[in-house]
Amino acid sequence: MRIQAFHLTKIHPSGVKVLDDAYFSAPEGSFTVVLGDSRAGKSTILKILGGEEKPTSGVLKIDHKDIYAFSEKEKRQWLQGVGMIFPDLKLFPDKTVEENIHFVLRAKGASGEGEKEAIAKLLSNAGLAGKASSQPVGLSSGEQRMVLALRAMIFRPRLLLADDPFQGLDDKSTSILFHLFRELNRTGSTIVLSTQQMSFLSAAKEKLSPSIQWIKLDEGKLEPLEESVS
Amino acid sequence: MSAPTRLGYVLKEGFLQVLRARGLSTAVIVIVACTLLQLSFFLGLSRVLDHALGSASEKFEMTVFLTPAAEAVDRQRIETLLLADPRVASVRLVTKEEALQEFRKDPEIDQMVQALGENPLTDSFTVVLRKDAAANLDDLVSKIKQDSRVEEVDYGKNEWETVSNLTRLARWVGLVLGGFIFLTALFIVSSTLTLALWARREDYILMARMGAPLWMRWAPYLWEGILEGWGGALVVVVLLEAFRRGAGVALPKYSGIDMVMALPAADWTGLYLTLLALGTVLGFLGAFLALQRKWIREIH
Repeated sequence: MRIQAFHLTKIHPSGVKVLDDAYFSAPEGSFTVVLGDSRAGKSTILKILGGEEKPTSGVLKIDHKDIYAFSEKEKRQWLQGVGMIFPDLKLFPDKTVEENIHFVLRAKGASGEGEKEAIAKLLSNAGLAGKASSQPVGLSSGEQRMVLALRAMIFRPRLLLADDPFQGLDDKSTSILFHLFRELNRTGSTIVLSTQQMSFLSAAKEKLSPSIQWIKLDEGKLEPLEESVS
Repeated sequence: MSAPTRLGYVLKEGFLQVLRARGLSTAVIVIVACTLLQLSFFLGLSRVLDHALGSASEKFEMTVFLTPAAEAVDRQRIETLLLADPRVASVRLVTKEEALQEFRKDPEIDQMVQALGENPLTDSFTVVLRKDAAANLDDLVSKIKQDSRVEEVDYGKNEWETVSNLTRLARWVGLVLGGFIFLTALFIVSSTLTLALWARREDYILMARMGAPLWMRWAPYLWEGILEGWGGALVVVVLLEAFRRGAGVALPKYSGIDMVMALPAADWTGLYLTLLALGTVLGFLGAFLALQRKWIREIH
């Protein structure tokens, strides 16, 4: 999906201006990383892009469409192609890991033959082999975060929005997850990821060859970071 | 996703939700059972009245009293006239001697007859009418009365109408009270199911945020309501069947118990099926109304 945002401003009900006349553009199939301090407003940007928080003013076009002008039906259809990793999008506590991931396949209309094997393979790749039948309560917080990420990626979304997905993960898990993001990106998915972990930045710079768009969020402004990884 | 897969998902999820929220599910089942138990009383009463009225109409008789001057040829003519009517099942002549014999079985009447010294009665015909013929006999009665040898025709029109009207009234009262009980239960069931929904609101919101289509959010919940409705109905059916098998032996035959027990097996089966249908409606409507709450409709 292609994202274009002009003059985006978001003022929270408390009066705090999170975005101030921000510009943002992400071509289809791009990988964007939004960096910023805690409480800088990274989550707000991703929620705006996910259709969950309407900007106070400005223009947001995704695939040339205003997602905030969608009807309920259009919005549901649009969401079929969007994967979200948000801290408050928790796992269903009464479902197993496999059922949680399976649910998304159904919800996104991507359910089909061989899905059980696909889920098993994905879990294995993420170092969670043998956890398919576990309940979320039986997982560590890092494992839960990994399952949340897998749940958002299993249906190969056209747009993946990941809000601080590496938080709470150890280095190995971070590396695995970032590898999975890159794999997804190579299949054509547009990815927008936010993080405040600068260690992630240096690790990513070393390992990545394809271009990544780096954006820094500071005092409501989105500014390209001087060095893009190439 | 194919229709059978969707159906499988809905059936499984609804069933699991009943198990997950055991406390609230039990509450709904108990409420449905209490309601249906009350409704079964009205339904049972209605069936008993139907049978009583049906059996009364089958035994419905008319008596045609002849004048003292009536002779054999007159009796023959009147009997032919009666048998020609399709509503008449059979005709039996009761001579005045037979009638007197019957009357004298009562000691008080016997004393009165002895005091009179002669038989004051006349010959009569006892006419057995076919089922459902009792409703409109006026034309037959007036035709018979035109014969000069007929003194009086008695067919208990007023009593029949009274029984019919009382039955009709009982049905209406039952319907109104039953409807009132049903609506009250629907409100309570819906409120309890709303509590169940509220307890799972985070899951519901999560589904909506993930773009789950409406059927994935609604259908398992409606199915859950139906399952709980069936659960309540099943409890009542088991209780009634236990009553049916045990009450005839354990309870003395009074207060109409024997009339209830005498209902044919088909009527009991019909009652059970009606209760299962009502349980389904109660559970489905309760869940549907719960889903219409404002806070649910606002979750997109």
